Amino acid sequence: MSTDALLRFEDVTLRFGGVTALHEVSFEVEPGELFAVIGPNGAGKTSIFNCLNAVYRPSHGTITFDGKPVIGSKPTEVARMGVARTFQNLGLFANLNVIDNLMLGRHLLMKSGFVSGALWFGRARREEIHHRAEVEKIIDFLELQAYRYQPVGMLPYGIQKRIELGRALSMEPKLLLLDEPVAGMNLEETEDMARYILEIRNDLKIAMILVEHDMHMVMDIADRVMALNFGEPLATGSPQDVQNDPHVIAAYLGEAS
Amino acid sequence: MNRFRHLVMGRPNERMIVDYRDDLRLFPTRAKRAWLLFLVLAWIFLPAVWDNAPFTILSEHGVSLNTLAYAAVFSIAAIGLNLLTGYTGQVSLGHSVFLAVGAYFTAYAGSTWDMPMLLWLVLAPALGWIVGALVGPFALRLRGNYLVVVTLGLVFIGEHIFRNWKSVTGGSTGTSAATVPVSVGPLDARNLEIFGREFDEDRAFFWLTWALVALVAWLVKNIVRTRPGRALQAVRDRDIAAEIIGIDVGVAGYKTQAFAWSAAIAALAGALYAPLQLFIGPQDFNLLISIQFIAMIILGGMGTVYGSIIGALIITAMPRFIEGYSDGELPLLGRLIPGDGLPAVAAKTTDDGLITVSSLNVVIYGLLIAVFLLVEHRGLAGIWVRIRNYFSTWPFSY
Ligand SMILES: Nc1ncnc2c1ncn2[C@@H]1O[C@H](COP(=O)(O)OP(=O)(O)OP(=O)(O)O)[C@@H](O)[C@H]1O
Ligand SMILES: [Mg+2]
Repeated sequence: MSTDALLRFEDVTLRFGGVTALHEVSFEVEPGELFAVIGPNGAGKTSIFNCLNAVYRPSHGTITFDGKPVIGSKPTEVARMGVARTFQNLGLFANLNVIDNLMLGRHLLMKSGFVSGALWFGRARREEIHHRAEVEKIIDFLELQAYRYQPVGMLPYGIQKRIELGRALSMEPKLLLLDEPVAGMNLEETEDMARYILEIRNDLKIAMILVEHDMHMVMDIADRVMALNFGEPLATGSPQDVQNDPHVIAAYLGEAS
Repeated sequence: MNRFRHLVMGRPNERMIVDYRDDLRLFPTRAKRAWLLFLVLAWIFLPAVWDNAPFTILSEHGVSLNTLAYAAVFSIAAIGLNLLTGYTGQVSLGHSVFLAVGAYFTAYAGSTWDMPMLLWLVLAPALGWIVGALVGPFALRLRGNYLVVVTLGLVFIGEHIFRNWKSVTGGSTGTSAATVPVSVGPLDARNLEIFGREFDEDRAFFWLTWALVALVAWLVKNIVRTRPGRALQAVRDRDIAAEIIGIDVGVAGYKTQAFAWSAAIAALAGALYAPLQLFIGPQDFNLLISIQFIAMIILGGMGTVYGSIIGALIITAMPRFIEGYSDGELPLLGRLIPGDGLPAVAAKTTDDGLITVSSLNVVIYGLLIAVFLLVEHRGLAGIWVRIRNYFSTWPFSY
């Protein structure tokens, strides 16, 4: 085990009543790495994110992020450590426009409270102007210029997925969790998303965990892959190795049959 | 800065926005600034012309300047409730209690300690803030109907306290606020003199209360367009996602803070209510008042500041207007059944009639709430947005 891992899962077990969503899951993510988690429906992929976000509390094991323990922290504290996320079924603030959603990503980077916000002149105003400019960089990067002032709930699904990625990037995270970012997208949108993900890795050097159903995209872009089935890790390694692993092949063939 | 400059789509005569400072203005367009000027002029001159045509349609039928001052007080309370309900998504039936906190405090502190106005204008909301912050955490784990029931409980607890803490509230009979100081420097609302001209109390209170509406509207508008207000709306739209981006929804978090600030604003309204009403008692802060506040924001528009004001104006003026017509010389509603001379609406309970004015009002609030929730849940503000969108894209509307 390397000592400079950004994230470390050790023997993490999560149960819901009789269902074991995760069973002794261990893996590490290095700084700047694009780590993928694959597996069939109900394999426990989203549960990994929910444990990492401190939404669920594992019954066993440890999770260490950036040297700090995650289990026992609150979701807001994990956000403060530098973990950002997109949701499988969208977690946007539907009535707010694109700018406000992205500005909300910068919540922890900003300071104004009710009093300075209400009085406006001074800190709140300076802060709004500064962070508005930062958000504009992300709007440029994700090519969202056409939608700035539209309530996000009204926008097409593929655009909403992109806005959610934008909100996560606004947080300036150390680790980005992407839960099926291309699910339900057409080929063109999928390619755009893959391009953004690669640019995030190459230019912004943000570590990512990419959860995907679909093997192909993962095999193309991931540095390392972990395959899960029924909460059990089947194999972890390079995309090539995982693809050729007999357990993985069996699990996927089992699903197909 | 250059690479962030951008052009905002709009009608061709609108200025191009070249800087975020322009983007963040409250009154960005010429039309909006003209509106602001119009409202300021209306504030200054309305008291002078209210008793003349064309305002006599209202002023001769119960909607006096005094009514408008009440509407201002309720506007403030409605803005406060909208911060909690419209922006944060938390329903409260307890706002009459926060109104009462400000009102009883001011009546007591003003009468017994002669507390100056500038001081009670600050301390009443501060007290409301504390009460709201204490109640808020109870609402944390609750949603929807459960929250309604808990805040309903607050109304009954409040009523019990108001009736029994006689040394402060005067019990069931109530307490006087007639001697509460309402002056700033040389300006005294009970005896207003500007450049040697005297103005009566109704005019003075109109100016005072509406000036505070403007102040509160400005403060709340600022809250909702900056970091704290965005956090409230995030909690309203999706609380799990809000937590994951770092928004605190715990005991000291945004839901509680929304309760506290909302209560503070309602207490400010209460503080003005006391000297305006002269005498306050438990019946001024019952459940019906809370329901009226809810009707105001549903009618005017959830999650809008100006909608709160429009809703408060209509809900406050409407009963007086109906009353003004039902016992005035133009019995529009008073003689719904002509011929046999049976007045349908009685002005007082002792009069004959199918329904009294006050119960008619309750029926109308109920209908307004139901109709708007079913037909246009964004209230009059939503209707206005639709009209504006229609005309801004005209002739390409569909
Ligand atoms: N809150 C919960 N309560 C009960 N069971 C749950 C809960 N969340 C997840 N599970 C169960 O845990 C298992 C793993 O679920 P998870 O959502 O992590 O799967 P997944 O790999 O993300 O699946 P999918 O590809 O369908 O998104 C499933 O059997 C699921 O039913
Ligand atoms: Mg999932």
